[in-house]
Amino acid sequence: MEVCGTHTMAISRYGLRDLLPAGMRLVSGPGCPVCVTAVGDLDVVVALARLPEVTIVTFGDLVRVPSSRSSLAAERAAGADVRVVYAPTDALELAAAQPERQFVLVGIGFETTAPTVAGALLMARERNLRNFSVLSLHKTMPGALRALLDGGESRIDGFILPGHVSVVTGSDCYRFLPAEYGVGGVVAGFTAADVLEALLLLARQRRPAIEIGYRRAVTTAGNRVAQELLSRVFTPCDAVWRGLGLIAGSGLRLADEFRDYAAEERFTVEPGEPVEPRGCRCGEVLRGLIDPPECALFGRRCTPETPVGACMVSSEGSCAAHFRYRAIDDAMGADA
Amino acid sequence: MPDSGRILLGHGSGGRLYRDLVRDVFLAHFANPVLERLDDAAALACSGRIAFTTDAHVVQPLAFAGGDIGRLAVAGTVNDLATAAARPLGLAAAFVIEEGFEIARLHEVCASMAATAAEAPVEIVTGDTKVVQRGAADGLFITTTGVGEIVVTHDVSAAAAAVGDELLLSGTLGDHALAVLAARGDFEMTLDVSSDCAPLWRLTEAALAAGGPAVHFMRDPTRGGLATVLAELAEEAVLGIEVDETALPVSPAVRSACDLLGYDPLALANEGKMVFAVAPEAAEAVLQALRGRPEGARATRIGTLVAEHPGRVALRTSYGTRRVVDMPVGELLPRIC
Amino acid sequence: MCLAIPMRITATDGAAATIEADGLVQQTSLMLVPDARVGDYVLVHAGFAIAVLDSDDAAERLALFEEIAGMAAGDEPGPGIDPKADRPYDPSI
Repeated sequence: MEVCGTHTMAISRYGLRDLLPAGMRLVSGPGCPVCVTAVGDLDVVVALARLPEVTIVTFGDLVRVPSSRSSLAAERAAGADVRVVYAPTDALELAAAQPERQFVLVGIGFETTAPTVAGALLMARERNLRNFSVLSLHKTMPGALRALLDGGESRIDGFILPGHVSVVTGSDCYRFLPAEYGVGGVVAGFTAADVLEALLLLARQRRPAIEIGYRRAVTTAGNRVAQELLSRVFTPCDAVWRGLGLIAGSGLRLADEFRDYAAEERFTVEPGEPVEPRGCRCGEVLRGLIDPPECALFGRRCTPETPVGACMVSSEGSCAAHFRYRAIDDAMGADA
Repeated sequence: MPDSGRILLGHGSGGRLYRDLVRDVFLAHFANPVLERLDDAAALACSGRIAFTTDAHVVQPLAFAGGDIGRLAVAGTVNDLATAAARPLGLAAAFVIEEGFEIARLHEVCASMAATAAEAPVEIVTGDTKVVQRGAADGLFITTTGVGEIVVTHDVSAAAAAVGDELLLSGTLGDHALAVLAARGDFEMTLDVSSDCAPLWRLTEAALAAGGPAVHFMRDPTRGGLATVLAELAEEAVLGIEVDETALPVSPAVRSACDLLGYDPLALANEGKMVFAVAPEAAEAVLQALRGRPEGARATRIGTLVAEHPGRVALRTSYGTRRVVDMPVGELLPRIC
Repeated sequence: MCLAIPMRITATDGAAATIEADGLVQQTSLMLVPDARVGDYVLVHAGFAIAVLDSDDAAERLALFEEIAGMAAGDEPGPGIDPKADRPYDPSI
């Protein structure tokens, strides 16, 4: 199983499934941060977008994800101020340019992105930017990996571990996988060669272990500076993962020192009751229990143009990757 | 003209201010006998079949590395005519200008249009100007409409494409989209990329001269990129397309920016490229003809039309695997982690 | 995970750095990699450098990718990957 959206994309984009030997099957796990954002959290984002003084600042993929009753794209068309940025620091510039508006950065992402949001918060504090806040929906990987294996449903024999999350966390944080679950993993980079190498290394492991394929960027200890920044600015909390449910300690909320920058404290909103789209099997896709084509909505009601669930909207979602980069034979409905 | 240096609502009113604007700006840049008559309609002579097309241009920002809205407005319409194998005969240009727009900038845009028109070559023979209140337009919108004379007798369309046809692409992908993105300043980066915006009639003419009736199909990959053109061709021709990913020309800067922002070069807009489907026996000659023109210096074979998987475009990766290429969906968004 | 590409630091100014990759020039923050120096290749994500790249492994990769690209273009295959080459093996049991 791979648990990183960019790996999902790379596998599909390079058509790597075509190269696998019989007996090896690649399954996509919950690696796309947009896809694992709970509908209830999205409802909060939409509710914030409706506040007239608020500008929502987000990374691109979130804009089209359907919430219970809407989406940021729909809200924008109805007049909400929604801006897309590439870097969290861009949000600071936006806030500085319009002091009369409140800028809420939607913090989505795992351990790769969370430090960059933390960095932006430190800068905001230094500049005393009062019209900036963060809605932290960040999540951390190890808890999700445990949840996948504790569930006992998926027969995972090995993990392709996330490359850039591991740059920050280091590979040591995965040692519990072989130690407690007897499952090995290889931290992989994002080129096709990197992914293939990871599969080769996994296949060759005589006993489960954690290895680093992505040696040029990943170490066992990780980026200490980033880790310290994370623990200064964020505190672990419980988080609801779409498809996996509540996973204790797997989320990040702003630490006490930074609560004045927490959007959920600065604004009061009524998000309404969360509603999962009917027939949507994103949860099972995320847990690796089914392949996207096994969902009845896939390719019919749910396409990249008309997505029903998050797995299809985000370009890193399993369903989107599968659809956009599907093997030519699948597309023709013919046998390989 | 009053010396505010800016467009006033009165400039769009059809009266004295309007006539002054036409004389001082438009006629000054677009001088030609037809336009100078300032009739409400231009009279042109044409003996054969005509092609007729229109395009609205709303690019933001108005200027970027390698071009501006004026160059786009002329090249875009000339290129649409070119895909129909039509030599451009004349362009109409309708301007919607926001009150307060600097006249000096209007001069720059018109100079750019005139220069592009001279390259094409085509003349701007009629036009219109409206002015709207401040805030009602994004500075300047230009709509150009073009008339051309079709110079071939054979059908140039997806219907004419045949199994075995070779697909030729006239140059690098993604330059325009990234030049505009860089100029927009949303992502703070300096990119060594210029828009490829250029009129392609001469390029097309050269291809037709070399290939004659062997040139079956021509289309320019603008918004929606190469992926859209190929998907449309496959669908309309009811044939399959095989594309070789390693053959696609992409400049290093575009490659880096795509890797960083999560864009697919096949989905990016171009404004100075043409895709040709050519019968195999003439492909080499057409390719050489393309390479003989500056706009086609990096022309290359990118794939073929096949009988398998009709309606689908298959991309062969450098690993020998194949995957489907679809039309891109929605607006370009940067991916998050 | 996430989009990050290797870019070379060409100038620094406190915690800010100018980075370049093939025709692309950007500013980034070195807040997360305070030991990075001009000339280092860093992995850049969302406006921050998150790691300094190990140049030996990077060079080996680059050679490998070029070899693959060469093979795809029909060149003679070069020397293959040595299966006995050192890998960092970290048995955690």
